[in-house]
Amino acid sequence: MTTKTRPTKFGKLAVALRNLKRNAFRTTVLVSAIAILVALLIFATFFTVSVSATIEKASDRLGADLLIVPVGARDFAQEFLLESKQKSFYMPKEILPRVQEIEGIESATYQTYLETITGLCCDVAEAQIIAFDQDTDFIVKPWLQNSIGRALGPGEAIAGIETYENLGLELLEVEKTMFNKRFKIVGVLERTGTGLDNAIFMTETDLQEIVAGGSSPLKKDQISIIFAKIGRDVDPYHVGLDVEGNIIEVDVVTRREMGSELLRKLSDINKIFVLSTVMGAILTVFLVWAIFSAIANERASEIGIMRAVGASESHIVRLFILEVVLVGVLGSLIGTALGTYLFMSLTKSFALLRDLSVPVLSFRPLPAYLLQQSVIGVASILVGTGICIAGALGPINRIKRLEPHVSMKGSLLCRR
Amino acid sequence: MSQVEISNLSKVYTVGGEEIIAVQNLSLTIEKGDLLAVVGHSGSGKTTLISMIGGILKPTSGSIVVDGTDICKLDDADLSEYRNRKIGFMFQFASLLPVLTAMENVLLPRIFAAEGGANHHRRAEEYLDALGLADKRHAFPGELSGGQQRRVAIARALINEPRLILADEPTGDLDEETEADILKLFHQLNREKGISFVIVTHSSEIAAECRKRCRMSHGVLEHEV
Repeated sequence: MTTKTRPTKFGKLAVALRNLKRNAFRTTVLVSAIAILVALLIFATFFTVSVSATIEKASDRLGADLLIVPVGARDFAQEFLLESKQKSFYMPKEILPRVQEIEGIESATYQTYLETITGLCCDVAEAQIIAFDQDTDFIVKPWLQNSIGRALGPGEAIAGIETYENLGLELLEVEKTMFNKRFKIVGVLERTGTGLDNAIFMTETDLQEIVAGGSSPLKKDQISIIFAKIGRDVDPYHVGLDVEGNIIEVDVVTRREMGSELLRKLSDINKIFVLSTVMGAILTVFLVWAIFSAIANERASEIGIMRAVGASESHIVRLFILEVVLVGVLGSLIGTALGTYLFMSLTKSFALLRDLSVPVLSFRPLPAYLLQQSVIGVASILVGTGICIAGALGPINRIKRLEPHVSMKGSLLCRR
Repeated sequence: MSQVEISNLSKVYTVGGEEIIAVQNLSLTIEKGDLLAVVGHSGSGKTTLISMIGGILKPTSGSIVVDGTDICKLDDADLSEYRNRKIGFMFQFASLLPVLTAMENVLLPRIFAAEGGANHHRRAEEYLDALGLADKRHAFPGELSGGQQRRVAIARALINEPRLILADEPTGDLDEETEADILKLFHQLNREKGISFVIVTHSSEIAAECRKRCRMSHGVLEHEV
């Protein structure tokens, strides 16, 4: 009996898919190898990009061109501002007017870092109590305006986002550590991506009351850090040298220098990532080469048949490349998802990322975020697929050159 | 009118440093519409001869001119197109791709065809139906008997409507009834569509049904009838 069936779509893609399904285990091994490699690549890229971007953003968001700290506290200041590591270091307040007198300094303000509030649990970051001068401040004020739209009043404090969240979770013993002075937390600052996120801010007036009351070990007229803005067209490096030259009690960190130690560490970490990725890529190339060599040998007869019915060398190459690309793209997509998931879930496991307050996902600004993710995703897919193709090219080239007659017989007769 | 002009064709294999002459200084003319049987013992060079005519094996020397073109001088792309458009192969072994259904195996040459075509799906169905495989279109080769696989291969050879079919022991696995059906189909295609056939066979019955016969021995064409 003759029956008519609807034409089904049949082409090279269908042949490639059938071939991949033929040995599901082998295909799974290949896809997994590519996925793991791409996941490593994605993780390493996100790690590096996030750390670099966070350092850059943090130094930009501080809004100061120069950080002036007591001699020897250069690293402490950076560790606090970038990595939220709580530090206390002091210098006399009388240094402030001397800094303001240096040529090129446009404005300067200061902050004083008091004792820290310890989290109840080991995973909760410590919070630093910071006093700032509302008259001269340009560091906290912009965030304060966004949060409560006014200056802080007496007995009022405002919390950094991380500290506020911890307070909300009742994981900090606030009243006990606020020097017996009762503070009202009137708001929360937006996320700055700096150490300021792990701080509670009070006014200089309240600090003086605490110092006068003797409940703090801090002495009168001590400050921790001076933030300075410099004039336009002034080289911050040279102004910094002038400050250090004129005031021997201080060290200066320029905005560009902020995080330089971290970036050096990051550079070392990157080398490990690059080495791991390159070795992973080489291993994957060998794996793909070995598997496709086996595939080419197994299918020699089939390739001969395809050649006999009209497939050219380029047809055979395209058929194999299609298979390789399908494996590469699938593995890369899985690897991209896996790498992103790993980065998101492991962010808090890495001290460097945790201390830097690297956001798990920062969607702002959205177009830039999407562009960055797309570039990383596409690049990873290209790399994953490229590695797959690189591994398979050898066997493909070998098999395509066999005469159809020889391929079909599966023999290796020498020809003249 | 000659369709294939073979002149001084030789093929020498080298195996383990030893030269094996498969075809030696062979000349043969195949006319359009011929139904030619090539007989001979195993190892006489029959398969090597039709492999060279079909462009799947390069001769060591000599020429094979098909429709005015020496196929020995074609590059890979042109030679592949020649195999795809002008030749239909039937091999002496199971030659289906195991991952494709019967229908897809028949359609396989179409995916390598340079030009598109609208009717090949219908044509594939018709050939499978004519070969008694209407209910096996979506079966995989592993689900078919040896005879059914052979018939699928025949349908595949016909799908591009070639002008020359090269059949190497085309009915070797088939029962007598199916063998008769296949030969009947060959004669019908030869008569009605003018397709030329070169059939390599051990069977004197099949050879007897062909209009022309030639015998090969030790790579040499002994005589043409």
